[in-house]
Amino acid sequence: MDRPKIPVDLILAKLAADAEAAKHRLERARDIFHGPLDTDIGTTPYELVYQEDRVRLKYYRPDAARLKTPLLLVHGLFNRETLLDLQPGRSVVQNLLKEGAEVYLIDWGSPTRRDQFLTLDDHINGYLDDIVEFIRRRHGVPQVNLMGVCLGGTFAVIYAALHPEKIRNLVTTAAPTLFNTPKGLLHIWMQEIDVDRLVDAFGNLPGNLVNAAFLLLNPPRLLLDKYLGFLENMDNKDFVENFIRMEKWIFDSPDVPGETLRQVVKDLYQENLLVQGKLRLGERRVDLRRLTMPLLNIYGQYDHLVPPEACEVLTARVGSRDTENLCLDTGHVGIYVSSRFQKETVPKIAAWLLAREG
Amino acid sequence: MTQENSGQAGSEPLLAAWITWTMDFWDTMAQMGPGLGGTGRAGGQASRETVVSANPWLASLNLWQAFFSLLTEPGTVSAVFQGIQAPSKIILRMAQAGWGGYFYLHQQWLEAWQGNGSPSGKGGYENLDQDIYQICNEILEQDFHRLLNLPQLCLTGFPQERVNRATEKFSHFQAAMAEFIYLLYLPVKKSLRAMGGLGGLGRQGNPPEDFKEYYKRWLKILEGHYMTLFQSAEYIRTLTHTLYALEDFTTAKQELLSEAMAGLGLPSRREMDELYREIYLLKKSMKGLARKIDRIEASREEG
Repeated sequence: MDRPKIPVDLILAKLAADAEAAKHRLERARDIFHGPLDTDIGTTPYELVYQEDRVRLKYYRPDAARLKTPLLLVHGLFNRETLLDLQPGRSVVQNLLKEGAEVYLIDWGSPTRRDQFLTLDDHINGYLDDIVEFIRRRHGVPQVNLMGVCLGGTFAVIYAALHPEKIRNLVTTAAPTLFNTPKGLLHIWMQEIDVDRLVDAFGNLPGNLVNAAFLLLNPPRLLLDKYLGFLENMDNKDFVENFIRMEKWIFDSPDVPGETLRQVVKDLYQENLLVQGKLRLGERRVDLRRLTMPLLNIYGQYDHLVPPEACEVLTARVGSRDTENLCLDTGHVGIYVSSRFQKETVPKIAAWLLAREG
Repeated sequence: MTQENSGQAGSEPLLAAWITWTMDFWDTMAQMGPGLGGTGRAGGQASRETVVSANPWLASLNLWQAFFSLLTEPGTVSAVFQGIQAPSKIILRMAQAGWGGYFYLHQQWLEAWQGNGSPSGKGGYENLDQDIYQICNEILEQDFHRLLNLPQLCLTGFPQERVNRATEKFSHFQAAMAEFIYLLYLPVKKSLRAMGGLGGLGRQGNPPEDFKEYYKRWLKILEGHYMTLFQSAEYIRTLTHTLYALEDFTTAKQELLSEAMAGLGLPSRREMDELYREIYLLKKSMKGLARKIDRIEASREEG
């Protein structure tokens, strides 16, 4: 019986060549790691113009303002706003400035135990409304443009429905509004979470738990393939710097205020109250039909965190007639850091806003 | 035995005399009880309230008397003396019972650990993967739980209970975490098996010419297995269980720390949380008032 011959000589030769290449790569990587590395994130110059408790407002001034209405960016509570200004050349903020927008960015800060009682109402009708008021007064304008990112997009939708008179145009990016979809893992897991136990035990949701949960969404890619890719490219300085910037952002999740989390999980993920028009904030009910301003709804086709099914329903539920769904050929983070988004989508947002300046 | 009997015979009349004297004494006391004096018994002037309040007193004395009457019975006295003269026997029996119980418990623990000679107690090592976490949980539930929940006594009992509780919850969390990690490992195992079957690096297959291609195929299979796992009821159950265990351990740890902090005179987490809540409510109320004032001022300016 013939057994297949194993070409040992070829295997050994390949191994030797690989070992030699790895040695050279390590030598170059050593030089890179020993030299100066630019890994700072959120480096676009800004002015701190407003602060309330832990919440700060950053103002980015464009060289030449083309848009009369200032643009307020609202990020979610589960990650940092620095995603929008991650690295020079791939910064949503920088590209919006290039398009002539006056950009304001909310930094939700780092909640501590004293923030555990803050509710969704405190964040939206409290901090967010105070910030909108501040910008309106500062610029002497009746309305601002609002752009929401991820759960910040949901906040923006809720705010715009409650205060439509203050919002000129609304842009949502990867913003979930239909929460009981069985498509995304996060949506499936959230259905089973006993958030009362979680909040009672921890007070705030620890950032490290959020980090671990995100890693568990795709362990082969996020825990293995990503780092193998890093090993393969660690002799490339640009790659190393960008990789470290992304690592800094990913593992810098702040704690999430407990009461807000309780409401997000129960009212949004588990009860799906928003699209049903049953969500209540403080004394008021959130009615999406009151959202009458122009709406641009952007989401990623391969988003594993907020799948298209969770986003695309919004345009059909609002009262506005000027709505547009824009599905991008990318994933969740790719919407903000991919070169295509930077080159095509940011100018599109600016043009869309400009066309609705009035 | 003879000595015991003689002692008993000598003490009996003395005890009977003492009991009779005691009964007479309490009978006299009953006559003097509140509202039960001569006039009270005659029922002439005692108020209704006094009679009502005296009823329990009378009932107690009657009961006391009845008890002592019973003691004067010859058989009872004999039994009392037998009891008094047998302390050494009682102590011996108590000690025997104590040691017996301890050895019984010890034997039970050993049997539980040995699991009738096999690690799983069911099917031997071939079922180790599937059974090991169940066995661990059973041991934790049946043995450590009982051990760590024995009632603690005296001054250090309360803090010791806190320590035991935190220890138990930590053990539960460790067991749950181990099970969860094992579940996360299963797709790796399955994907490697699948790759072996595809003839990549399998023992009977040819070695891959392009390792990267082989790796990509493996990664895709691995991702598929993970996606299947993550949507399974088993995974969600284990994830939830692990999260619960972590929450329970965190709570138990906080209770223990609060105990220690109270001992050091530091405010506990609960106390600080109460303070934070008060500050939160105060700030909210202040903010609401400030907004009202702003609105009033704005309407005045307009008016």
